[in-house]
Amino acid sequence: MSSSVLTRPDIDDDDVVAGPSGNAEDQVVRGRGARLTGYAISFFLGIYALFTLAPFFVMFTAAFKATGSSFDLPAEGDWLGALKKLFVFTPTLEHFTKLFSESNFERYFLNSALAAGGSAVISIVLGTTAAYAISRGRFRGRSDLYFWIISTRMAPVVAVTVPLYATFRALGLLGTIPGLILAYTVFNLPFAIWILKGFFDSVPYDIEEAYMVDGHSRWQALWKIVPLVVPGLAAVLVLCVLLAWNDFIFAAVMGGEQAKTLPVATQGLKSASGIDWGQIMAAGLVTVAPMLLLGIVIRKYMVQGLTMGAVKQ
Amino acid sequence: MALLDRASPDVHDVGNPPLANRQQPRRYLIPLILPAVAVLALLSIYPLAWLIYMSFHQVALAPGAPDTFVGTANWTRMFGNPQYWEGWRLLALYSGVSMVLEVGLGTLLAVLLNRSKHEKLLITVFLMPMMVAPVVAGLLWQYLYNGTFGWYFWVLRSLGLLDGGTILGSSDHALWAIVLVDVWEWTPLVALIVLSGLKLVPKDQMEASWMDGAGPVRSFFQVALPSIKASLIIAVLLRFMDNIRIIDHFIALTGGGPANSTKVLPLYLYEQSFSFFELGYGSSIALTLLLVTIIVGKLVVGVFETREAKGPMSEEEV
Repeated sequence: MSSSVLTRPDIDDDDVVAGPSGNAEDQVVRGRGARLTGYAISFFLGIYALFTLAPFFVMFTAAFKATGSSFDLPAEGDWLGALKKLFVFTPTLEHFTKLFSESNFERYFLNSALAAGGSAVISIVLGTTAAYAISRGRFRGRSDLYFWIISTRMAPVVAVTVPLYATFRALGLLGTIPGLILAYTVFNLPFAIWILKGFFDSVPYDIEEAYMVDGHSRWQALWKIVPLVVPGLAAVLVLCVLLAWNDFIFAAVMGGEQAKTLPVATQGLKSASGIDWGQIMAAGLVTVAPMLLLGIVIRKYMVQGLTMGAVKQ
Repeated sequence: MALLDRASPDVHDVGNPPLANRQQPRRYLIPLILPAVAVLALLSIYPLAWLIYMSFHQVALAPGAPDTFVGTANWTRMFGNPQYWEGWRLLALYSGVSMVLEVGLGTLLAVLLNRSKHEKLLITVFLMPMMVAPVVAGLLWQYLYNGTFGWYFWVLRSLGLLDGGTILGSSDHALWAIVLVDVWEWTPLVALIVLSGLKLVPKDQMEASWMDGAGPVRSFFQVALPSIKASLIIAVLLRFMDNIRIIDHFIALTGGGPANSTKVLPLYLYEQSFSFFELGYGSSIALTLLLVTIIVGKLVVGVFETREAKGPMSEEEV
């Protein structure tokens, strides 16, 4: 609750917000059959959770299984054998050691981190000032400007990659980390502006006004209300990192060998002679694990970011 | 957990400054936008101009070599190419089917989550696929579908649901297999957006409907659906935009095959531009894709703006 008070300091959120969800069941599901309904709900959600988690389980176990025998499947219809094959194996780190000793994965990891982190920081700084100005400004063409900014976010990645490739070639940015940072910033900045504008809109103008009447400048006023949009900043930061980290097309086209990121390197393992699935699953795990951690630790900001601010938690 | 909707009318009146206070000039805020605009212009208007230029040229590949002006050759070639139209058809089919599945399943999940005691835990679980790099998701599912090592392949065979051949090797199945990956990764996003809409349905209203004996299905359509309409539209548009934007699943899973049965338009564009380096031809395809995306984008922004229209400072211009 405290976060929503921070986002929307102008209201008493108890008026608007549904109560804790835990009570919802008691309130809504009543009478005969309530228990049955409850079971049915749990059953369906459980099935869906299984559908969601099963691929993760397969990826995780495959990454720790030795190459060779453990990769063949049981005979068709041998469900018992399948269970045994899924759960009983001797874990090994061979795939991971290979990734880091032979395939340079620590470099790719660093590249990914630099590109994602760098573009997130730039997007936040430029996005904050721009979103503030669009939220508070009253100038002609404001909504056109806003739409133009948003539309750059919606552009199909591939469509923009063609001319960006030519531009980057001319500027000598191909195959460099700054090039990737710049490319990701183009895609993240509109997003940052979109989300942050929503947050600035919800901060009452009175706060800055009173502050500026006291003789402070517009900049100081902006600085004054930044703490009120911290949840927005967090959402933007997380999302920018996520989008840049998970990008494939840009890094594949512009990154080359010098600025290769984890997703490109993972896909690259495939084209090598024969497909070592254990290796690829281990690489996938290395790529996915940091983002999973991020998503679970700061879940609510992730939700806000992914839904472009449509969900405010 | 507090979920708020900016559209709730009573929320915003509080923050409304008295009219007299608003007369302060705010034009000088423009400098604050300039850095962002400069970056975006350098990397969007400039490339757009380049895109238009290239679509009328045969682009030379060697650096420094001059491009050849070819008039509308790229455009006529594009409109005359059945593969181009097939690309649109596959994109529409793919987006349409995954959308229906994701919205249907996502809404159902949202309704159930809203009633579940384990909402928080389950949301965390459902969020996980969204954190996965789409290309890694593609690789993971390619492994699951694999005809020799794939567990899902094995399950389907064991259940007798798959006759011969592999899943991704069949032009009848491949597109649907990719749809399933999209459903796996993005249904939770729809669920989350719809759930946030459901939270705004007054509980007593829901309850009253139940008390009247409307039953869960009818009370959903009568009471909840009108409230989550905006959320549903947002979810649909966001998903549609991303279906046009992101082709990582296709690249990882099939690369357009077998027999071009999964070559959606953005993938066709990618292939023409970066496998065959037909940059001029690719540019004309890119421009048509861009045009459609911008139309969809207008709709998205329209929906968001309508939702926020009652906001304290949204639409009045000086």
